[in-house]
Amino acid sequence: MLGQVVISGILSGALYAMVALGLALIFGVMRIINVAHGPLLMLGAYTTYFLSTVLDVNPYLTVPVSMAVLFAVGVVLERTLVFRVVDAPELSSLLLTFGVSIALVNLAQLLFTSDLRSVEYLTGAWVVGPFALSKTRVVAFVFAGTLTGLAFLFLGWTKLGKAIRATSQSREVAMVCGIDVQRIHLVTFGLASALAAAGGALIAVIVAIQPEMGQTWTFKSFLVIVLGGAGNYPGALLGGILLGLIEQVASLFLTTQLSEVVAYVLLVAILLVRPTGLLGGRQT
Amino acid sequence: MSGRHVALAAPAAVALALAAYPAVASGYGVRATLQVFMWIVLAGSWNLISGLTGYVSFGHVAFFGAGAYAGAILMSKAGWPWLAAALVGGVAAVVLALVIGYPCLRLKGPYFAIAMLGLNEVLRALVSYFEGLTGGGNGLSLPTLDATIPIYYVMGLTAVTVIALTYLIITSRFGLRLMTIREDEVAAEAMGIDTARHKLYAFLLSAVGPGIAGALTARDQGYIEPISVFPLATTITMIVMVLFGGKGTVWGPVLGAVVLFVTQEVVWARYPYVHPLLFGAIIVAVVLLMPRGVLGILQIRYRLPRTI
Repeated sequence: MLGQVVISGILSGALYAMVALGLALIFGVMRIINVAHGPLLMLGAYTTYFLSTVLDVNPYLTVPVSMAVLFAVGVVLERTLVFRVVDAPELSSLLLTFGVSIALVNLAQLLFTSDLRSVEYLTGAWVVGPFALSKTRVVAFVFAGTLTGLAFLFLGWTKLGKAIRATSQSREVAMVCGIDVQRIHLVTFGLASALAAAGGALIAVIVAIQPEMGQTWTFKSFLVIVLGGAGNYPGALLGGILLGLIEQVASLFLTTQLSEVVAYVLLVAILLVRPTGLLGGRQT
Repeated sequence: MSGRHVALAAPAAVALALAAYPAVASGYGVRATLQVFMWIVLAGSWNLISGLTGYVSFGHVAFFGAGAYAGAILMSKAGWPWLAAALVGGVAAVVLALVIGYPCLRLKGPYFAIAMLGLNEVLRALVSYFEGLTGGGNGLSLPTLDATIPIYYVMGLTAVTVIALTYLIITSRFGLRLMTIREDEVAAEAMGIDTARHKLYAFLLSAVGPGIAGALTARDQGYIEPISVFPLATTITMIVMVLFGGKGTVWGPVLGAVVLFVTQEVVWARYPYVHPLLFGAIIVAVVLLMPRGVLGILQIRYRLPRTI
């Protein structure tokens, strides 16, 4: 029983980690909490839904497509709206992304209706010894692990990735070193939206989707980066896995409704006891 | 008459007219005005925390819902009179604000905003879970009682209190400290302001009004359920009203509440799906194009005092 819980927790935790890494990147580089992160994930989910049901493409092949589409959406959002509030007081960026998120959710309701939609693919579970592993969750874990790994390779080894980390450490010094900070912001926002889209695409295969699904994900992603320490990218990994485990353990004892509450109590408790997160903030 | 006399006489005349209004009005007129009062309470209260300190509350409807449930449980299960239950609704909201605000407001940055974003869902889950007390998803019915007109007066009085409170705060040292926190929290701390405590006080004050309004609305409608008292749309509406009217001002939330409520009734009711979309667009447009709202623009153009 405990083994099953640990496995399920790690499986969903990897997904949390990947989605939250996007939010952490935007926060680290631009000092903005993007409230529209969850709604962007929702758009990624719908992209996959329509590609796989209307055009009959294998849903897992649509993951890169969703990522590319949302990368573009993210870039457009940054270039038209978000860049205007990067240096503004926090109130402006929070309200602006909140407005964007409301607009996205309601646009989706208008275009796609509020019906629950699901992608039927790979149903059932693999039985390994005493454990039953939902097939869609295992594949999602593999995807999330690979994409997160690629994101870290990108951040650690490529010139652009290093420039992103440099900007996140100090924007002024990065500018002095000749880094085009505007461009870094653009790439970061696009990359973060693509990570959210990958999450949405994988979720669409696991559970039914609807336009309002995003908000919980904004909240959970934020919880993950609070757990790991805001602006601390490896912390997002740890935080994601922890959140997955905690939710699964909670669902052992409580109803699904109350396990939502557990995540919330956890947030408040961490802010009380260790506001800098488990790994401490801002190490890049 | 000097400007000062007009500034005092005009609101007094409006208040008198509104007090006499139920004697001549239709049932719809009273209900619509009651709604405007409710929105003034909600928008004015949101302004107290978010407009003055710059800490955005994305879940202020949680206090409305908490007040509604606290009041409704007392009225239906314990048989309390509605006026007392409404006051306890306000107290319940303050207690909730203390529990959330104490950890989240000690920190700078967006922790508070996101914590408030999640709060609503959590309360909805809790209300559904404690079915014995709250009726869960089936909702809670109150004994029948036609009290619309007394509720009209109490809600109106609450709205006046919120406006007066905002005026008193903005013209006080306490208000100046709050606005210092909004402009530069580090500087505020350096000047010796206990920022955590001031933010918490502002937050507690901002929870009372919605709590009372929630309980009054529960009494007026006679039935509540989780979806009807915790809708995200209510939070969005109060934010839009304050931003539109002018955040951090006394009359901005009132202006926003009246203008947007009337527009909503007259125009947008015909396009129910487009109007939440428009609200999102209004927020974006106001933040980018007129961050001080209508009243803020008027203040600058006509050199009006800061305290309107």
